[in-house]
Amino acid sequence: MHLLIYGCILGILLGGVYGLMASGLALVWGIMRVLNIAQAVCVILGSYLAFTAFTVLHVDPMLAVLPISVVMFVFGVGIYYAFLRPIRRDRESLSILVTYAIAIGIEGALGLIYTTSLQHTGTSYATQSFEVGGFQIPTVELYAFLISVAILGLLALMLQRTRLGRALRAATQNPTAARLLGVDIDRVSAVGFGIGISTAAAAGAVYGMIYSFNPNSHYDLIGILLAIVVLGGFGSMRGAIVAALILGVIASVVFIYWPLWANLSFFGVVVVVLLFRPQGLWGVPNWATQ
Amino acid sequence: MRSHRFAWAIIGILAVAGSACSSSSTSTTGSKSPVVVGISLSLTGDFSDSGKTEQQGYQLWQSVQNAKGGMLGRQIQLKIVDDASSPDTAVSNYQNLITRDKVDLVFGPFSTLLTAPSALVAARYGYAFPDPADGAPKTLNEHLQNFFLMQPAGPLDTGLTWTRYILSLPADQRPKSVAYISLDDPFLVPAVALDRTAFTAAGIKNVYDNIYPTENVQMTPLVAAIAAAQPDMVVAGTMEADSFDMVKAMVTEKFNPKYLFFMNGASDSANFPTNVGKQNIEGIFSALGWYPEEKTPGNAEFVAEYIKKYGGDASQISADTAEAYTIGQVITEVVEKVGAIDNAKIIQQLHSSYWPSIQGSLAWDADGKPVGTLLLVEWIGGKLEVVYPATDATHAPVVPKPNWP
Repeated sequence: MHLLIYGCILGILLGGVYGLMASGLALVWGIMRVLNIAQAVCVILGSYLAFTAFTVLHVDPMLAVLPISVVMFVFGVGIYYAFLRPIRRDRESLSILVTYAIAIGIEGALGLIYTTSLQHTGTSYATQSFEVGGFQIPTVELYAFLISVAILGLLALMLQRTRLGRALRAATQNPTAARLLGVDIDRVSAVGFGIGISTAAAAGAVYGMIYSFNPNSHYDLIGILLAIVVLGGFGSMRGAIVAALILGVIASVVFIYWPLWANLSFFGVVVVVLLFRPQGLWGVPNWATQ
Repeated sequence: MRSHRFAWAIIGILAVAGSACSSSSTSTTGSKSPVVVGISLSLTGDFSDSGKTEQQGYQLWQSVQNAKGGMLGRQIQLKIVDDASSPDTAVSNYQNLITRDKVDLVFGPFSTLLTAPSALVAARYGYAFPDPADGAPKTLNEHLQNFFLMQPAGPLDTGLTWTRYILSLPADQRPKSVAYISLDDPFLVPAVALDRTAFTAAGIKNVYDNIYPTENVQMTPLVAAIAAAQPDMVVAGTMEADSFDMVKAMVTEKFNPKYLFFMNGASDSANFPTNVGKQNIEGIFSALGWYPEEKTPGNAEFVAEYIKKYGGDASQISADTAEAYTIGQVITEVVEKVGAIDNAKIIQQLHSSYWPSIQGSLAWDADGKPVGTLLLVEWIGGKLEVVYPATDATHAPVVPKPNWP
């Protein structure tokens, strides 16, 4: 029972970070109907930026999260105007190819700059832990979880309380009606994509303290992020966060008892849920949007 | 106009990606036609880390040997093509190198996944297939006469030096219990099984035994489960990233087994300390076939030339680089003895005797499996020391493992 509870705690901590990564993916799909395959490589890009900030500028990755988020927001807006805005037709399918090309391009650039050697942002607290009720709580994973919760909280506040947030939500729920009501969909899409990329990079800054990474690490990550978004319901940020927590707990618990089956259980849960709710936990069924 | 800009932007992205995926043919000078060596390497994709370090070894051998006059008085030219870590592409590459480019020799790629089908292609055309980093049952079970793993021992033997050391200890000093954990890998799982058989026969109690997947591994819960079993010793069938993350999780969990052995990863003197923290490496054991200070034929020259060409220091040289260099070194000696680029005779010579190399004297059984043993190494005083067998030891083993700082 002790290990089972511990697995749940670790799963929630890690699920929070995955939730931050996947929330941007869900937001971008909701607003633009763009499946951003480059979301995972932007996580790794964020890990490299934090690694550079730490090793070259001696800035703690936790403090680097804010400037990295800002820089990556601008980067995301730039990607939108350069590569996604020109897609006028078949956006859902063409965007997969375009964002895959972007992912490969970023991977290639990271390989040239940093080489393909594994890196790790080795802060003084990267391997520290403290005991609570007989459980060793990894300090860095707790910090990562708290930062993820803080960013997601700010994002939720922005979506609920600001004019931009209302525009983003309107664009997510019904882009045509939003446009008729005067929402500048182009601008909102650019901002939404920028936010999506910046959340990925923010999560990447803390991811690099937990795991060793290299430019190829995004291939493993994108499968997890897509599974989370599918389970949560495409376009639903709330669904993505809940799905990340659920899958994080399941994977952690299975890793304790049957590690070889952990990934299968992770994707197995997605398949089983989709059998009963094809639209995912918080998704809107197709008939409701037609 | 806008669509043109978009097209150029896509081309720009692919150009950046392509720069990491390019093939290369290193040109040579000289009046005689060069000896062309065809190699498929994983310069991109999952195995690109090792692929690039092997490329360094091949290219270093080429420059060192060409400075000495090449092979049979002919300069050496490498034709290296990228297989993107894909077995299908590797097979296609060797097919093209042999039939279209008509290279004189072929050297092997990285990983079992690529080597086994590639060696079959080379065998079909009668080419010798010296390989830097394979030897899993899948390849050896093909019983190929042309395959030679250029390491002192086969990968399945990675843990044998550890069992020999542990079982050489007096019975009252041996660990009483052991946990086995392994990556789901075609040679690590059977390698761990060999250790399990030996330790079980010696009466060391098995308290944990599991395999973990190759992707998306969460080490903290995995290590928590191992720690709960309270083993004296952990035998870990690891590669690179997983060994790094496992050490960090052990430190976080404050789980400090008395004896800790990693099959791979911990022997990487360049990347292991930087990834797990220099303060966390003391007392960790691993196995390797080569180390920079080894007193073997040509090793001092290899280390000096490596530093001259690539910079850094000896501790940053990867074993993958040494293994690739070994292939060039051994094949040069064989070709000089044969007196011609004749693959049939090269294969015959490689099977006939021991060949000196920077990894020591190498010899193979009929399937190309090396007949030697690996060295047991331990991190002592921030440095990787050879601790077993005693004849090669640079330091006495430090056991039990010191506590994490």
